[in-house]
Amino acid sequence: MQVKLKSQKWLPYVLLSPSIIIITIFFIYPSLQSLYYSFFRVNMTGTRKIFVGLTNFTRLLKSSDYLNSLLLSLFFSFSVVFIGLLISIYIARIANRRYKGFNVYRIFLIWPYALSPAITGMIWALMFNPAIGVVTNILNFIGINFEYISNGIHAMIFIIVAAIWKMMGYNIIFTLAALQGVPSEIIEAATIDGAKKGQIFWKVMFPVISPTIFFLFIMNTLYAFFQQFGLLHVITEGGPGRSTDLLVYKLYRDGFIAMDTGGASAQSIILLLFVSVIMTIQFKITQKSVFYGA
Amino acid sequence: MKKVIIAVLLCLMILPLTFAGGTKEKSESPLDYKLPEGTKAAGTVTFWNAMSGSRAKVVEALVEGFNKSHPDITVEALYTGSYGETVTKGLAAVKAGNPPVLLQSYEVGTQSMRDSGAIIPVKNLNNGEINFDEVVGPIKDYYSYDGEMYSMPFNSSTAMLYYNKDLFKKAGLDPDSPPTTFEEVYEYGKIITEKGLAKGGISFGWPSWIFEQMHAYHNQYYANNENGRDGRADEVFINKDFGVRVLTEWQKWAKDGVLEYGGRTYKANDPFLAGQFAMLVQSTSSLAGIIKKADFNVGTAYLPRISDIGEKGNSVIGGASIWLMAGHSDEVNAAAWEFMKYLFEVDNAIMWHKKTGYFPVNNKAYSQLKKEGWFEKEPRFATAFDQILSGKTGHAASGVLLGNFVQIRDIVGVAIEDVVVNMKDPQKALDKAKKECDQVLEDYLMTVE
Repeated sequence: MQVKLKSQKWLPYVLLSPSIIIITIFFIYPSLQSLYYSFFRVNMTGTRKIFVGLTNFTRLLKSSDYLNSLLLSLFFSFSVVFIGLLISIYIARIANRRYKGFNVYRIFLIWPYALSPAITGMIWALMFNPAIGVVTNILNFIGINFEYISNGIHAMIFIIVAAIWKMMGYNIIFTLAALQGVPSEIIEAATIDGAKKGQIFWKVMFPVISPTIFFLFIMNTLYAFFQQFGLLHVITEGGPGRSTDLLVYKLYRDGFIAMDTGGASAQSIILLLFVSVIMTIQFKITQKSVFYGA
Repeated sequence: MKKVIIAVLLCLMILPLTFAGGTKEKSESPLDYKLPEGTKAAGTVTFWNAMSGSRAKVVEALVEGFNKSHPDITVEALYTGSYGETVTKGLAAVKAGNPPVLLQSYEVGTQSMRDSGAIIPVKNLNNGEINFDEVVGPIKDYYSYDGEMYSMPFNSSTAMLYYNKDLFKKAGLDPDSPPTTFEEVYEYGKIITEKGLAKGGISFGWPSWIFEQMHAYHNQYYANNENGRDGRADEVFINKDFGVRVLTEWQKWAKDGVLEYGGRTYKANDPFLAGQFAMLVQSTSSLAGIIKKADFNVGTAYLPRISDIGEKGNSVIGGASIWLMAGHSDEVNAAAWEFMKYLFEVDNAIMWHKKTGYFPVNNKAYSQLKKEGWFEKEPRFATAFDQILSGKTGHAASGVLLGNFVQIRDIVGVAIEDVVVNMKDPQKALDKAKKECDQVLEDYLMTVE
């Protein structure tokens, strides 16, 4: 019973146009503007622009601060994505049993995701406040001196933990949904064949949920790279020194505090390229190992 | 289809270029604007500011009082975030062609605001109603450029030493004789930490600013061209012997547990109030808040000096001033000037001082306060005042003016953290920072003119 439309050619374009218009206005146009500005040095009010060619780019690539930010970002993202996903899968496995009040429990799990990064930052900063923080006092009591304000390594650990916590609910819910979609026949079959619990998970269930895990992998990478501003701004402001100065935060400082429009634009272009490359590699690698439907 | 899209996108890209060509040249610089005499003051004056918390309430009260007594004028005070955010938003609004009338800019924005081409100097508004010589000396010195006032000083502060008298007593130190030198800070801090009375001896708010303070306080130039007051500075002097000396001392304190690094802004206030260290170098603008919240006796004192450096300067003025943005009608400009005069009035300056701890910027307000015995009643409010009034004048002592100072302060802030937290070599850290700062200045001068 298909309804035939006469001039179908334009229909897809009409249907797509809202998103295309929005993407053009809010994404493509600003990106092109960034590209344009990345070749200039601009004064604060934007009244004077001086063409400087590729200086903004070469300066970044030569800058030890930028390299530092890049390495920190890679380390941070890697930790957040891998540790975060592993913990989430583990919890999802535990939660993948029928409890009483399961639905309520599931809502609790996704709660952290509903918080804005800045609020997450506030909560964690309060818990770990050097003077009045509950967790700081508990840690002190068991002999650990945790000082994220005056210790770079502590600060890094702190933001990784907070970032993982924030994304965990989201990860768990998706993994859980995927786990519940695994057909029980194949698990039963594996059990009958004498597979152990670990084997059942990694050899039978994991391949079935791998598209979801891959999706989460992408989402987490994007999250770790791009969505940390609120958290950093509230907790560490990139410090102490430059020890938590991730790429997004450096971009903010240079662009909006130091008002170096040109340099910040160049950074955003590099960041864009960088993430595109990572994404391409991820897609290439995982194409082979991700299993889409039987 | 693809080609069409690419063509459209390219056109979009060129768009800002054409606009840029159109707006570049303005025939008349707002620096030469003159308020015609006898202009009627009327209209709405937007006032973007960074005053939050208890300060916001005081600003509100001042604005309300003004609006009541000036029926033709409506001042709309708007909190626009931190100092940095306020300046950024203001300049973004200039870019968009819709600037606020008044903008509060912190002291580090002074040079950038002056060069922005978007402001009208307050000296051009003054038809003799205010004698700028009545502005408290060091404050006037800080905000003058070529001997003229470009913005209206509003909330001025400086740095001083706060200390916990109770902890001093417990440590067997005289609570009425605070440390006056670096050596004493170290010695007292050591006693306090060794007795286990607190985690550390001292901490700083705004470390990068305190580093600037130390330069001015010992009459040392922070940058060339007489601190940027005899022509724009293009080189900073932070890695000279003096700067290295200061950071070497601080590093020694940090290594021995005397200095407890407390973050970049007001973060050190909370642990100080919680008794985690006995001394705090912080802006005077925290005074009212600290006294109110502390459950111990708070003492205040002059900034400690390095005893073997004989040269005396002055502590630098911090805080913010109010700028008139260009692009409004004569009536509105006149109205904005009315509001600035109102804030300068003796009663209002006094009210502002008592409620916040900022200096009253008006000399007459100061003598009035003295007359009514305010400083005898509240001697802690006098400390910083005595400190700046007893200091020297001159370009080294009155503080540095730098283009894109915000970024420079950030760079120095990182260097300080590298030295006192990550324990890097002071000379190396400062050499690196100096190079970066000079680059910032070079870039700045390139776009200025």
